[in-house]
Amino acid sequence: MKFKNFFFRSVSITGVPIFGLLILIVALFQFVVPIFNATVGDYITNLVPVLLLTVGAAIVIIGGSIDLSIGTVCGLSAGITMWTLASGLPTALSILLGVATGTFFGLLNGFLITKFGINDFIATLATLNISGGLLIVLSQATELYGAESEFFTSLVYGSFFGIPTSFFIAGAIILLMQFLLLKTILGRRIFAMGNSGAAANVAGINVRNVKLATFVLSGTLAGCAGVLLASRLGGVQAFLGLGYEFTAIAGAVVGGVSLAGGRGSAAAALAGGLFIGTLAQGLQLIGVEPIFFGIVSGLALIIGVIFDQKIQDIGQLRSRFDSRVLAQPPRKEGDHG
Amino acid sequence: MSFPTALSTTRSAPIILDIRQISKSYQGVAALENASLQVRKGEIHAVLGGNGAGKSTLIGILSGVTQPDSGEFLLEGSALAPRNPRDAIKSGITTIYQELSLVPALTTLENIFLGRELIIERAGMKVLLDRKKMKNEVIELAQIFGISKDELDIPISEFGALKKKVIEIVKALTFDARILILDEPTSGLEEEERLHLFDHMRNLRSRGVGLIWVTHHLDELHGLADVATIFRDGRTLESLNLENSTVGEITNLMFGIQSNEAGLRTKNDRLQKDDKSNRPEVLSLHAVSRAGVLRDISFSLHAGEVIGISGLAGAGRTELARVIMGIDTRTSGQIFLKGKEVNFKSSAFAYKAGIAMLPEDRKQLGIISGLSVAENISISNLSSVSRFGFIISRKKERELATKYKEILSIRTPSVNQKINNLSGGSQQKAIVARCLNSKPSVLIIDEPTQGVDVAAKTEVHELIRDFTSKGGAAIVIASEIQELLELSHEILVLRNGSIVGRIENVQNSIEKSRVVEIKAEVLALSAGKRLKNEI
Repeated sequence: MKFKNFFFRSVSITGVPIFGLLILIVALFQFVVPIFNATVGDYITNLVPVLLLTVGAAIVIIGGSIDLSIGTVCGLSAGITMWTLASGLPTALSILLGVATGTFFGLLNGFLITKFGINDFIATLATLNISGGLLIVLSQATELYGAESEFFTSLVYGSFFGIPTSFFIAGAIILLMQFLLLKTILGRRIFAMGNSGAAANVAGINVRNVKLATFVLSGTLAGCAGVLLASRLGGVQAFLGLGYEFTAIAGAVVGGVSLAGGRGSAAAALAGGLFIGTLAQGLQLIGVEPIFFGIVSGLALIIGVIFDQKIQDIGQLRSRFDSRVLAQPPRKEGDHG
Repeated sequence: MSFPTALSTTRSAPIILDIRQISKSYQGVAALENASLQVRKGEIHAVLGGNGAGKSTLIGILSGVTQPDSGEFLLEGSALAPRNPRDAIKSGITTIYQELSLVPALTTLENIFLGRELIIERAGMKVLLDRKKMKNEVIELAQIFGISKDELDIPISEFGALKKKVIEIVKALTFDARILILDEPTSGLEEEERLHLFDHMRNLRSRGVGLIWVTHHLDELHGLADVATIFRDGRTLESLNLENSTVGEITNLMFGIQSNEAGLRTKNDRLQKDDKSNRPEVLSLHAVSRAGVLRDISFSLHAGEVIGISGLAGAGRTELARVIMGIDTRTSGQIFLKGKEVNFKSSAFAYKAGIAMLPEDRKQLGIISGLSVAENISISNLSSVSRFGFIISRKKERELATKYKEILSIRTPSVNQKINNLSGGSQQKAIVARCLNSKPSVLIIDEPTQGVDVAAKTEVHELIRDFTSKGGAAIVIASEIQELLELSHEILVLRNGSIVGRIENVQNSIEKSRVVEIKAEVLALSAGKRLKNEI
C-alpha cells in the first residue's frame, strides 16, 4: 500500500514520466551505439540555446499563453550581438545588448497582449515576423560574422573541470527559473493565472502584470539563448532561429507542461527538450538519414504527449478516488440507518 | 412548519421507475449502498441529502453516465441498463443538469432537434433540414410551456435562465421522456422565475411524467413535492410523504443532527443594533456609474454593518461588486475607503487597501482548481506566508491553512489536497478563509451559499456574522431574499443598474414580523411593479 501511494504520487508530479523516458532512451542508445557516450557533451552543447528557449516557452505556457516569437528573437539577439562585436563594441556591452534585445521583444509582446488586448498567438506571430525580418535586414540577407573576442568564444568553447562553460551558464539560468516558478510569489501567481485567469483576477492578482512578466522572462531567455548561439556558431545567418520556437514548444509539451496552463516546471521542460534532442542525436548515430528527423520528432511529440496524458489519467483516477472519500460526510458512531 | 398536501391522489398511481438495491463504489469506497426508491406516474419526487450523500451517483446511473456495481432499475416494468446518456434518453429517462446543455449559438428549434434532425431528401441525397416539419411537430408542446412560434427561431443565447430551462424541458418531452431528472433546477433563477418553473413542474406532473427533483432548498418543497427520499452516506434513508413532515425532521434525517432548523429561521441576534451613526464609516460610494451597467450608485457602509444587495439577474449586482473591486472600471463617481478616495486599477490594489471579495461563480471565479487548499487560501495575501518578501514558505503556508481549516471547520484530510476534491461547502469556506487572510475591513460576498448544502449554509452565515461582530463591514449580494433578511441591516434593491429602493432597519422590521411584507416589497421593486395591496 505504501508503495502504491508513492507510485501514484510520483507519476502525478509533472516531469517525472519524461525523466523516466529520457533515462530509458539514453540507456537504449548507450547499449545500441557504444560511441553515444563520447558525443553527449557535444550534442548537448549544440542543444543548450534551444533548451533555454524551451524553458522560456514553458514559463509562458504555464501562465496560460503562448509565445511564438522566441525562435526569431533568439536569432535576432544572436545577430545584434555579432554585429556589435564586429563593429568593435566591448564584449560585455555586446552581450548585454544581445540579451536586452530579447527583453525588449518580451516587453513588446507583453504590452501588445496586456495593454492592447491582442490575442497572444497573433501578437507573437507578428513579432516573430518583425524580429525575423529585422535580422534579414541587419544581415542584408547574408551572414554576420567577424567577432574577435576570446572571451566571447569561451562562453561556449571554454570549460571548467572538463565541463563546457555554456553548461554552467544555462544550468544556472534554468535553476533560477525553476526556483522562481516553484518557490517565489511571482511563480505562484503564474501558476494561479494559468489555472484560471478569471479566478486569479478576482483573488487579487494583477494578472496583466504577471502576464507581462512571463513574456519578459521568455524574451530575456531568448536573448540569452541568442548570445550563446552566436558564440557557438561564430557567424549569424539571415534566417537563424526560425523554427526553433516549435522545437522549444514541443519540448515543453513533451515534458508535461500543459498547453491549458497551470501545470509544469522548468525542470520538466528541460527534460522534454533533452528527450527530443537525445532522440535526434541517437538516431543520427544509429545511421538514420537526417531527412527523416522531421517525421521522427513529430512522432516523438505525439507519443510523448499521449504517454504524459495516460500517466496524468492515472493520477486523476487516484485523486477522484480521494474525492469520493472526502465527499462522504463523517460517520457518527452507532449510526447505521 | 408542515407541508400542506400536494396531490394525494398520486399515491395510488402506478410505479413507473423502480430502483432496486443499487450499489456503486469507487475503488472500494461506497458511493451508493443498496439505494432503493420508487417513482410513480405523475409524481414529483424530491431527492434530498447533503453534499456527497450519493444523489449525484444515483443520477449518474439513471442517466447512463456510470454503471452500477449491483442492483437494477425497472422502467415501466422492464429492466434498464443504459450504457451511455443516449441510451437513457432513448429509453425515456432525461436529465436536466444544473449547467446548461444547450448550444448557445443555435436556435430553439435547432437545439430541440439536435442530433435527430428531420431531413428532406432531394434526388436521393439527404440535404436540407425540414424546418417546417420540425416546427409543426413541436409547436403545440412549445406553446403549452410558453414558447412562442417566433421564439423557436431565436438563438438560445438571447434567452434568460428560466427560458433556457423550459426549452430543455420541452426538448426532453419531444424525446418522449417518462422520467425527468431535474438537478437543482432553480439555481440561477430569480424568485419570480422559480415560481414560474414550479408551475411548469406541476404541468409536467399532470401530464403523467415522473419527476425526480434534486434540491438543496428545503423551503421550495412546500406544496410542490409529493414524496421525498433522503440520502445520507450513500444510503436511502426513508421515503417520506411530505404531507406529514416538517423541515426540522427532514434536516435531522439528512445530517443526523439537530441543525437548528438549518438557517430557515431568521436569527440575527448577533447583529449589532445600535445606531448606525455611532460607528465609523468604512466605505462610501458617491454617484458611481459604469456606462450601460450602473447608474448613480451611492451608499455608505459602516463598521459592523451588513448591506444586502437585491435585484434580478442583470440588474447590476455583480457589476457593482466588480466596480468596487477595480476589476471593471467606473465611468464616473467617487469611491471612498475610510475617508480616502480610492481608484483601484486591479483587484490587487483593492485587496491591499482592505477590500476582499467572495465571487458568485465558485467553480469559475472562486476556486483556483489546480491548486491545493493551502495554496488557495494564501493566494490573495502571499506575503503573509513568505520570507524576504518574495520566497514562499511552504511551512508557513501549511500552518496558516491548518489554522483556518480548524477555525472554519473545512472538511479535508489534508490542506495539501487539491481544492477541486472538496465538497462545495468546504470549497466555499476555503474561499472565505482566503478573504479573511487578506485582513479586510470590507468583505464583498456575492451569492454566499450557492450550491452549498443547508448545514454548510448556516456555517457560512455564522462566519459572516462573526466577521461583522468584530468590526468588519460587509456587502452581501443574494438572489434569495430570505438570505438577505437573515444577514443584513439594510437592503438596497437594484434594477437596471440603479438603486430603486432601500429598506432600512431590517432587523427591527423582522422583530415586528414584517418578513412577508418586506419580501413582497423587494420583489415588487426588483420587477418594477407597484406594490400590490393584496400581499
